[in-house]
Amino acid sequence: MSMKTRSGVPLQRCYIAPDGSGERPGEFPFTRGRLSNPHANAAWIQRELSGEGDGRRSNEQIRYLLEHGQTGIDVIGDAPTQSLLDPDHPLAREAVGTQGVSLCRKQDFIDLFDGVPFDCVSISNSAPGFFALSGLVLAAREAGFPLDQIRGSILHGPLYTEDCCYAWHFPVELRVRLALDSIEYCSQHMPKFHAYLEDTYFFSESGLGSVEEMALGFVQLRHLVRKLLARGVGVDSFAPRIAMLVNCGMDFFEEIAKMRATRRLYAKMMRDEFGAKNPRSLSVAITSHTSGLSLTAQQPVNNIVRGAIQALSLVLGGVQALEISAFDEAYRTPSKDAHIIGLRTQQIIDLETGAAKVLDPLGGSYLVESLTDQLESRIRARIDEIETAGNPEELSASGFFHNIFQKAMEDSQHAVEKGDVSLVGVNVHTMADKDDTLLREIATSKIETWHSLTTEIERFKRNRNNSLAYEALGDVAATVAGSRNVIASVIAALDASATIGEIATIMRSAVGMPADIFDHPLPLPLPLQDAGNRDVA
Amino acid sequence: MSREFVALAIMGIDQHENGVVAVARALREAQMKVAYFGKFQTPASVADKAIAEDADLVGISCHSWEYMTLVPQLVEELRRRGSTIPVIVGGSVISAADGQKMRDAGVAAVFSASTDSERVIDCVRVLCAAKKRQTIGR
Repeated sequence: MSMKTRSGVPLQRCYIAPDGSGERPGEFPFTRGRLSNPHANAAWIQRELSGEGDGRRSNEQIRYLLEHGQTGIDVIGDAPTQSLLDPDHPLAREAVGTQGVSLCRKQDFIDLFDGVPFDCVSISNSAPGFFALSGLVLAAREAGFPLDQIRGSILHGPLYTEDCCYAWHFPVELRVRLALDSIEYCSQHMPKFHAYLEDTYFFSESGLGSVEEMALGFVQLRHLVRKLLARGVGVDSFAPRIAMLVNCGMDFFEEIAKMRATRRLYAKMMRDEFGAKNPRSLSVAITSHTSGLSLTAQQPVNNIVRGAIQALSLVLGGVQALEISAFDEAYRTPSKDAHIIGLRTQQIIDLETGAAKVLDPLGGSYLVESLTDQLESRIRARIDEIETAGNPEELSASGFFHNIFQKAMEDSQHAVEKGDVSLVGVNVHTMADKDDTLLREIATSKIETWHSLTTEIERFKRNRNNSLAYEALGDVAATVAGSRNVIASVIAALDASATIGEIATIMRSAVGMPADIFDHPLPLPLPLQDAGNRDVA
Repeated sequence: MSREFVALAIMGIDQHENGVVAVARALREAQMKVAYFGKFQTPASVADKAIAEDADLVGISCHSWEYMTLVPQLVEELRRRGSTIPVIVGGSVISAADGQKMRDAGVAAVFSASTDSERVIDCVRVLCAAKKRQTIGR
């Protein structure tokens, strides 16, 4: 990358006030960026969300994206996977493999990551954190990569999962514990892996504004940090591997200010409230997924423009990794065409615009600095307000957060209907359906349900060694009922051919919940219900 | 004639609620009675509840392709129980061609992301009125 403008004016890596005062990039409190010059000329991690069908099909997608210049991976599970249901669950059958990759057993992860170099490609997992972690560990082990080399991330949203994401039907205490166990496990075994991505994307897609998004994100983050400290886990053993995945909508300057304010708030909080010393514990990595909610089913081609603008704001804000919501987002998870457009958009911003040459290029802008200050103080005030309202786990169980998300859903749709916010193609500059054809066919092309995978999983369960699987499930139950870290037992259960649906069911039983939350007959008897039939192998 | 009574639901494991929450609000603001059966419904559970509660209309929110199979099953479940409650569907994932498949399967109206609330409300009024007349006539 040439450090000159097109007409030959030399550029510096960063600019500061003429009198030398003020914060520099890479300096506490990191408003202006995480590190001053981590690896000069290295861009952010460029990736697009992928996943459809089974592990093998999704592996093809990953290879295709890597071949075309993608530098990280973010895999999303299909709706059953997100809900901890197997493809043979009666309620899940029609959703297998259509909105992400179907993952329920060890082999699925092995297929998914086949040939992926675990030590040099960052692997992010948009699937239930403890499950994705366990599958990743098994796939890396199978491929012969030591755990301490694995890069990537898992996300945890224990306070909000049930309200505005794919519900697991776990009590909040168990969800929190699984997050903590995952983070603690990684702090011991996977030092390069981001064991905790605080994902403010999924819940802010209910329509939250930036202040509410980040305040709720920080409330959850602070809760988990406090809990880890209470367990005796040292803050500098896990904090360097906390990252935040933020949403990015269309309010260009606010999104930039949001990232700057987030880094500053985080740094002050970790140092002053939680006593972190390691500079990496103070400077949070920020990744982003651009807002699917900001995209429209009408005139889908316009979404390409929205994605480009959002990605540019993220790059100007100093993002570490990003993915653009695809133009066909309103209809489906990204198609091959959508993938390549998203990736090319990032590559054009990186290689053609020069937007990433200078760190924090908008630092010092009256507008951006003022917005950063305002967002910081508003987010901080809102955090305090929520924490004053009560213990976050109790608030979660009582529906406090649920009400916030429901109201946001109502208000955001209402604002569009009333015309309070402009949405081109929806409430302004609309087009008759018959004329709205550009890219429509590609955007509405469907992925057929993977019924064959349901059959495969049914066969898999019939043919495995049930006694081994049941014994391992019994150990998961014992671990959940006790106080040992759950992750090792989940890994062992998957390794013994148990599935995530069964693991989730046994976990519910262990905490006194009904085995089947949907009141459907289980496809396979579980050890608790079927002691006499264990040796059918 | 009494107030329109609309039952709304999401079937399968589709969990995108933004749409149904907005529609529920719009219908309530239009003075209709709305029951939201929630997520994780099946064709049978929606049919049972809609009949038990004597709904004038069932609206299904669709943001995954599960609806392609589950909505025709819902119509079938209602008819098998001898019910004439009309079914409407709405959601951004419904393409024009798939909307036609829904109508062919007996769905009374299909709304895409570009339908404004007024049109949904008008359509719901007409369908509910027809249902009520039919019930009285029986």
